[in-house]
Amino acid sequence: MNAKLPKWPLLFLRWFCREDYLDEIEGDLTEIFYRQQHSPAKARRQFLFNVLKHFRPEFIRSINLKPQYNYKAMIRNYFKTSFRNLTRNKGYAFINIAGLATGIAVCMMIFIIIQYQTSFDTFHPKKDRAYRVLTEYHHEGAANITYDKSVPYPMPVGLKANFPAIAEIAPVFASHNDELIVAGDNNAPQKHFKEERGLFFTDPSFFNIFNFPLLAGSYESLKDRNTVLLTKEIAEKYFGDWKLAMGNTLKLQSGGFMFDHSTEVLKVTGILATIPANTDFQVKLVVSMGTSYLGTLMKESTTWNEAAPDFGCYILLSPNTSAANFNQQLSAYAKKVKSAENKDNYIIQAVNDIHYDTQTGNYSNKAISHQLLNVLWLIAAFILAIACVNFINLSTAQAVNRSKEVGVRKVLGSNKFQLQIQFIVETFLIVMIAVILAAGITFVTMPYINRLLELSLSFSILNSSTIILFLVAVTVAVTVLAGFYPSVVLSGFNPITALKSKLAAGTTKGISLRRGLVVFQFIIAQSLIIGTLIIVKQMDYFINQPLGFDKDAVVNVPYRIDSIRISKMDYIKHQLLSINGVQAVSFSSNTPVEDANDTWSTLKFNHDIKEEDFKAITKFADEEYVPAYKLTLIAGRNLQPSKMTREFLVNESLMKSLGITNPDDILNKEISIWNGNIKCPVVGVLKDFNNRSFRNSPAPLLIATNVTMYNQATIKLATTNIPATMQAIKNLWEQTLPGFVFESRFLDDKIESFYKQENQLAQLYKIFAAIAIFLSCLGLYGLASFMAVQRVKEVGIRKVLGASTAGIVYLFTKEFVILIAIAFAIATPIAWYYMHTWLQDYVYRITISWWVFAAGGLAAIIIALATISFQAIKAARANPVKSLRTE
Amino acid sequence: MKHHSIGEFEELVLLSVAALHGEAYGVSIQESLIEKLSKNINISAVHVALKRMEDKGFVRSRFGGITEDRGGRRKKYYVITAIGKRILDNQYELRTSLYKMIPKISFGR
Repeated sequence: MNAKLPKWPLLFLRWFCREDYLDEIEGDLTEIFYRQQHSPAKARRQFLFNVLKHFRPEFIRSINLKPQYNYKAMIRNYFKTSFRNLTRNKGYAFINIAGLATGIAVCMMIFIIIQYQTSFDTFHPKKDRAYRVLTEYHHEGAANITYDKSVPYPMPVGLKANFPAIAEIAPVFASHNDELIVAGDNNAPQKHFKEERGLFFTDPSFFNIFNFPLLAGSYESLKDRNTVLLTKEIAEKYFGDWKLAMGNTLKLQSGGFMFDHSTEVLKVTGILATIPANTDFQVKLVVSMGTSYLGTLMKESTTWNEAAPDFGCYILLSPNTSAANFNQQLSAYAKKVKSAENKDNYIIQAVNDIHYDTQTGNYSNKAISHQLLNVLWLIAAFILAIACVNFINLSTAQAVNRSKEVGVRKVLGSNKFQLQIQFIVETFLIVMIAVILAAGITFVTMPYINRLLELSLSFSILNSSTIILFLVAVTVAVTVLAGFYPSVVLSGFNPITALKSKLAAGTTKGISLRRGLVVFQFIIAQSLIIGTLIIVKQMDYFINQPLGFDKDAVVNVPYRIDSIRISKMDYIKHQLLSINGVQAVSFSSNTPVEDANDTWSTLKFNHDIKEEDFKAITKFADEEYVPAYKLTLIAGRNLQPSKMTREFLVNESLMKSLGITNPDDILNKEISIWNGNIKCPVVGVLKDFNNRSFRNSPAPLLIATNVTMYNQATIKLATTNIPATMQAIKNLWEQTLPGFVFESRFLDDKIESFYKQENQLAQLYKIFAAIAIFLSCLGLYGLASFMAVQRVKEVGIRKVLGASTAGIVYLFTKEFVILIAIAFAIATPIAWYYMHTWLQDYVYRITISWWVFAAGGLAAIIIALATISFQAIKAARANPVKSLRTE
Repeated sequence: MKHHSIGEFEELVLLSVAALHGEAYGVSIQESLIEKLSKNINISAVHVALKRMEDKGFVRSRFGGITEDRGGRRKKYYVITAIGKRILDNQYELRTSLYKMIPKISFGR
């Protein structure tokens, strides 16, 4: 009979049947199956029937499975031996835990930062349909396109009328340098406040797009003129309690020069809940759009060709509208409303992309590029990898010490899998301790990181499920990454050789892997060192590179323009100059270098009908501007004193953009800007200076006088006794203009702030490079100290045979130096490539010189040698008698 | 010691074990019973009876060698114990004595 036993009944039998009866029952059933004479089908049926008949209590395995091995006890034993092993090798445990904890802490910190950065403006329920409109500038040459968040005044009304796909549209005017005056209680003096940013003019539709809840009042009140919503914090700052603020009034003197410099009385009609930190709309006050003549301007303006500074437009598309489709329609519309020469276009950008757009920027100045986020991830991964490598290195190096234990366990019946579990449990224990420690480190260092990166991160394990998830994931990942290889190596020992302690000789394979890992660590560490050196050098270059004007000991005092103040300016200037230590005073619209606050104008040259195809930065300044900043004239003369606009100064770039090579040729030619509202002759040509940050080359520039456009004083100080001079200046302002909120800013501080992101990046890189090298050295130290112990007899014999201390130190360090040299050879091209790519973003950049690499490599070697030599010298100076006596 | 009761089917199995002395295992017991009783007996019934009697101490078991027709499973051989034998003797005596008490009745034709 060649029928086969039916599979499923057999498996069923094996599943339910008691182990000790299985032989008998299965055997008997099989015998019957093969012996009987029926057809195979019937035989199978009968077999199944017989199996089912056996499915009765006597034959079923007991439900409370009697375990074959005592798993619980074994796991308890694993923890116990792990703990004992840790306490026995305290140094080793310390190095492992410290290394892993540092690595995990860095990882966690970066995770929190990234989590925060990617959460920006994700809390608006309609975020997927919310967009902002950008102006797309087409400069000379088709390739040169830039974007700006400013749009022309007629845009909101025009779009609303022509695009049915727009569900909501919100014009936003972001004011700055506003002064707010609150009447004091019971005839107490008025309170003056100055808000540098955070005052927005908009209408209720803004709140239909974005989700900023109200505590009291209504959004609809913004439809009326002269109403204001305050955030809870601002209401408390101005009125003491936000409940008191409702219905109260405050006076606004807006800082934007587009206004008529009047004072508006605003009624508080609503209180906004605290604005979350993770939004780029850092709102403080929301004023109704109709206030001042802004509303009229919006309705009546027809100047489509010029984007209005600080005026933005946000839209909510109706569901199922594609952004690409909308952009096409918008382009067509832009062509229709703009003049023929104007090639600029409009484009919409998803609100959730704003935070990553470092070029265009936003209201919070907190944009971060995707590239930087990716770099952070990469660094987190690398640092964790270094920490894991340390662990692997030390564990496999330690393996020889554990070989006896492994041998005994194997002889007593442990199998490979059980031993692997044991070492994984051991790793898990270390990782757990490290994770807890890392959480502590993160908690303690969070305030420093917040200060460094100007963030407001919070670390609360219990509140955040993602953090817990992250910690669990890290624990598992590190346990597997770091624990797997050592556990395989350790559990793979042959018990006979392990017990004979012949292992030391036979672990060359492990050593070569360890070498590889050391090289890997130092590639990362050296790349980071070199990268840091280059970034720091580039930063120094930014700060110390001559700008073409004088920025030292120059202080700027911003003020708001109104008729009273304009009338007092001459007096203030006179008084300022009489203060000891003040060398020059100039009034102007802004400083020679601004990062984003410039006014750009299109211009017509020499009575041309067509506008030129480039834009020029337009600054207003008095005749003292050129001497105060020590600007150099290469042709013509300085501006003559005037309250009106009568003459232009231009720079070389503007001249070259017009195609003029000889500076004298441009003199006395007329330039017309602002739709012909300003038409003046050129009287002087300035040598190019850096009127933008070093990311860009100098832009075309126009400077003209006009007293109503000045909103800051530039005061050039003598370098001696600056605090006293500053105090005198402050007193003068406050006496002359009562209620004036005096602010001052040194120009060099301001210039430094242009490179804030680079600076923060440099700081971060410094920290990461330091941690990477620290971790690598920790591993190296552990490895060296272990080698010293392993080779104690060898060293003893060498010394007896006449080796010198230096010779033995050389013996120890030689290998590591070779490894670091290999790492250096690999790290150099990687670092060069990445830093070269990074530098391409800057028009003004350093050239990467060879000494940066030399310094990086040398630093790594010196630090590593310092780490090893301690152990090496200790080993070399040990008394050979002691090491050789014990056997 | 538990009271030494024995069921009818158990007694038959025990008798077979004793009769097949040394060669008694599940299948051989089943076959001999089928032959003697001329009716089908399920192997599970035999196994249950054997387990119960082993618990009561009437039989002892040992594993035999592996044979190929059993799919690599060992046979489990059963032999009767002294207690088992005494139980059989008791049963036999009980039945004989009762049998002898039957008066000579003629079932004349």
